[in-house]
Amino acid sequence: MFTLGSVLDNELKSTVEDFSFETNFSTNQLMLPNIEKPFEFAQSIIGLEKDLQENENQLMFHQQKKEERKERALIKGYKGTTTLAFIYEKGTVIAVDSRATSGQYIASQSVQKVVPINSYMLGTLAGGAADCQFFLAHLGRICNLYELRNNETISVAAASKLLNNILYSYRNYGLSVGSMICGYDTRGPQLYYIDSDGSRLKNSLFSVGSGSPFAYGVLDAGYRWDLSKEEALDLGRRAICAATFKDSYSGGTIKVYHIDENGWVKISDDDASELWYEYEKKEKKEKK
Amino acid sequence: MAGKNCVAIAGDTRFGVRNQTVALDSNRIFKINNRTLFGMTGLNTDILTLRESFKFQMNLYNLEEEREISPKTFAHNVAQTLYSKRFGPYFITPIIAGLEGEDYTPFLCATDLIGAMEFPKSFVVAGTGEESLMGVCETFYKENMEPDELFEVVSQCLLAAVDRDALSGWGSVVHVLTKDGITTKRLRTRKD
Repeated sequence: MFTLGSVLDNELKSTVEDFSFETNFSTNQLMLPNIEKPFEFAQSIIGLEKDLQENENQLMFHQQKKEERKERALIKGYKGTTTLAFIYEKGTVIAVDSRATSGQYIASQSVQKVVPINSYMLGTLAGGAADCQFFLAHLGRICNLYELRNNETISVAAASKLLNNILYSYRNYGLSVGSMICGYDTRGPQLYYIDSDGSRLKNSLFSVGSGSPFAYGVLDAGYRWDLSKEEALDLGRRAICAATFKDSYSGGTIKVYHIDENGWVKISDDDASELWYEYEKKEKKEKK
Repeated sequence: MAGKNCVAIAGDTRFGVRNQTVALDSNRIFKINNRTLFGMTGLNTDILTLRESFKFQMNLYNLEEEREISPKTFAHNVAQTLYSKRFGPYFITPIIAGLEGEDYTPFLCATDLIGAMEFPKSFVVAGTGEESLMGVCETFYKENMEPDELFEVVSQCLLAAVDRDALSGWGSVVHVLTKDGITTKRLRTRKD
């Protein structure tokens, strides 16, 4: 007969090696291939955009190597997205598109770009889909353990710091994560931007992805701290709609979420193109 | 695409710079005469330049020959113009569709950027979404379609292919050419 403790321990040990929460948050290691130079191999299969300066001396050689690596890249990321989040008086609004492109080919129009971390925190997905999905789910596990051990809900600042430290330890390994951790805790609505380069930024509004310049235009123009809930949701939706219209690599459906003291709620899920036609129709009516 | 004594040519109307969409109404399909339609994809500046260049050449042809040019001759003219710039080419992929001769046989021609011609009997495709288009056209094409059916097939092929290509869309236009004239319709496409 199993006790709860031993089942938990077995599960932990089988999923993540060397997990030790109490001492050091970044000791849980992902397995690297059992070869002589794992770091170089990791870079070669990913086709890394950034190059390490110490390896390349001449510019020509540098360019050649980069082209070779891109050709041999086995893991081609799905890029192209628009995600945004902002905090206001009554909570946090998150809006995302749902398109994944591989070059100019539209691989999918129905990607889930918002990953729940727990009942009052959401993380957005931009960059490498697999990387984001894994690390956000992992963050969810760590947050759950924190709450069980300390008998209090984890703050968004702490959760984002945990993820930041983990990602920093994998810097230069070719991970691609551009995630926003959004939530509501004792300090009120919170929003942090976490990068696979190791940056962690706190602000009241962010937009990430290839369509972010277009979304910022609409978002910055309409943003105020004292928006009402309907205005805030409408602002997020309009900003993503503008980005899907202008940016070729964003589109699909627009999903809007809201986080307040009661937790997160999915507000709407609209087709990007239909929404654009609706906004056009409304404008024409108003002009008359 | 070719049907029974009719041809249809369709294209999207987006003009963009890399990922940004700049205009929604750039027309790339031009009428040469009542028997010939000419579409181009590729570098926008070359499309505009060649539109003027071919308009000039056709006006001159009409004055000198005192008749309308046939689609086949026009296709050869296009190929020759493109090859004249063999070592500094126009970056376009042209498509010529028309009705040839007294019995209005459909004529299709596609060339590459330096004028290598191809005369398929069924359909021609070009553009950033040409691989998707090829697949969809191959599936839905059948021989001897009447104009209404041809319009349906061409529209559905274009919409399907354009929805799988990030760089195409934002409005589209379909021209159907029969011996009675040209019917033009605009389709409602996705604007994302």
